[in-house]
Amino acid sequence: MNPDKSLFSEEQKDILQEIMNIAFGNATADLADVIDVYVELSVPDIELLGAGELPGYIVKNLQTYSQTVIINQRFLGDFKGSGFFVFPNGAGHDLAAILEDSNPQCCEAIPAVSLEKEIIMEIGNILIGACVGKISELLNTSVIYSPPQAIYEKSVEFNRFLKSFDPANTVIAMKTVFRFQQKDIKGFILVITDYESIEWLKDALDKFMESYQ
Amino acid sequence: MICTQIFEMINMGIVVLDKELMVTKWNRWMETHSEIRAEQIIGHSIFEFYPQLKTKWFNRSCKSVLKFGNFSFFSQKLHKYVFPFKSVYSACTNFDTMQQSVTMGPLRDENKQIQYLYIMVQDVTEVAAYEQKLLEMNIRDPLTGVLNRRFMFCRLKEEIERFKRYGRSFSVIIQDIDFFKSINDTYGHICGDFVLKKFAQLNMERLRSIDLYTRYGGEEFCCILPETDLQSAQKLAENLRRIIEEYVFVFETSELRISMSQGVAEVTPDMTTAEELLKCADECLYQAKKNGRNKIVAKSCQREKLLPGQQNRGKI
Repeated sequence: MNPDKSLFSEEQKDILQEIMNIAFGNATADLADVIDVYVELSVPDIELLGAGELPGYIVKNLQTYSQTVIINQRFLGDFKGSGFFVFPNGAGHDLAAILEDSNPQCCEAIPAVSLEKEIIMEIGNILIGACVGKISELLNTSVIYSPPQAIYEKSVEFNRFLKSFDPANTVIAMKTVFRFQQKDIKGFILVITDYESIEWLKDALDKFMESYQ
Repeated sequence: MICTQIFEMINMGIVVLDKELMVTKWNRWMETHSEIRAEQIIGHSIFEFYPQLKTKWFNRSCKSVLKFGNFSFFSQKLHKYVFPFKSVYSACTNFDTMQQSVTMGPLRDENKQIQYLYIMVQDVTEVAAYEQKLLEMNIRDPLTGVLNRRFMFCRLKEEIERFKRYGRSFSVIIQDIDFFKSINDTYGHICGDFVLKKFAQLNMERLRSIDLYTRYGGEEFCCILPETDLQSAQKLAENLRRIIEEYVFVFETSELRISMSQGVAEVTPDMTTAEELLKCADECLYQAKKNGRNKIVAKSCQREKLLPGQQNRGKI
């Protein structure tokens, strides 16, 4: 099904873009403080999509990287959806080096692949939380999160994941490219809102506008 | 009142910290396992009692909760535990310390401002022990207890990648018990199993702790020898050959002697897969069998020539 583009008025779309710009700007500043590393977030790109188009949209975006791991995290509340942290597979060691992690209990017994996955999950969790948290804050709400899950590209889980979207729904996909400056590692974050929260979102956008009038 | 009771009775640790990371709540579960009473710790920084939490990852998580209202999840796999408590399952698991799955999240006031963060601690020692058992079952050969073929291929792949990246050479020895079928035919399969187990044990005892001993299949085994060149691997193979040749296997009333043939190969820069290295070692093994068994053949597949001193080393 094609997305219902009339769901949002032009003004609402502008407000949403503005909220995203502010939210991701704030997230960049706070992230530097939280993880002690400068992470650049690009100006977010917003698209209204039919959920049936999502698998194609995700696969198209993944083509930038040779192999990827996706961290998927659900967020629930009035504002409801999924956050995806898409990261080049194999870059987890560089990530650990940037974060200068030392964890005494860890990790000789863990195979390198699992360790890498866990580190990417931890950072994915923080970056998704930063983006979703800042959007929620501006929309005057709060959300709760499910634990992050790692999905490897071209795995059974990945195919199942692509099939999990109900094509009858319209979703909003918000994409930002992030870059860890120190090591030039790039990936992207995708925030997808569930169809159920679109009505609430429209209201919240109007209220946001009213508070400035 | 009901909430307070639940807070105290729940089978899970609950801690509340303020923005300065001072403890404001410490439930009974935490009291029991930490042996620190709530009145002792409330009003103090969590770091006073747990200085080991002064780490980047803990700090990162607290900040992301307080700044973004994020939820942080500390997986047992990566962190093992956050609070070092004695495991109540230590008698039946390998864990002396309780394995924990820990979640951290924000607590807000009526104006939706984050004022506190909570930490929930779940004891997952039993689950972690099951997982460890499953992992063991997945990588070990049930009969001999040595690492299995699947693990061998994974590890060889990793070693080849390490070799390419850091140039650290390594070698493999493939062993095959000579005339094993006749042991089964003469003494029965139970005796055959006994020989396989003892054979693996004898080899294991001689190897270094960094070496890996794996069952390739049937009566074939493979030693992976990190940081070992072809000559050292060949020396080791000779030691192993002698150990097996001299050992008397006693099964019920029977005494048996066996021997083995071995193929030795070292990784070379032109190899890209584990199969190539194994193929090289396998060709050597075939040659050793052909030369009359109880022998060692070693070669570098890149140079394609036999090394000196690898011929006849004993009699069957």
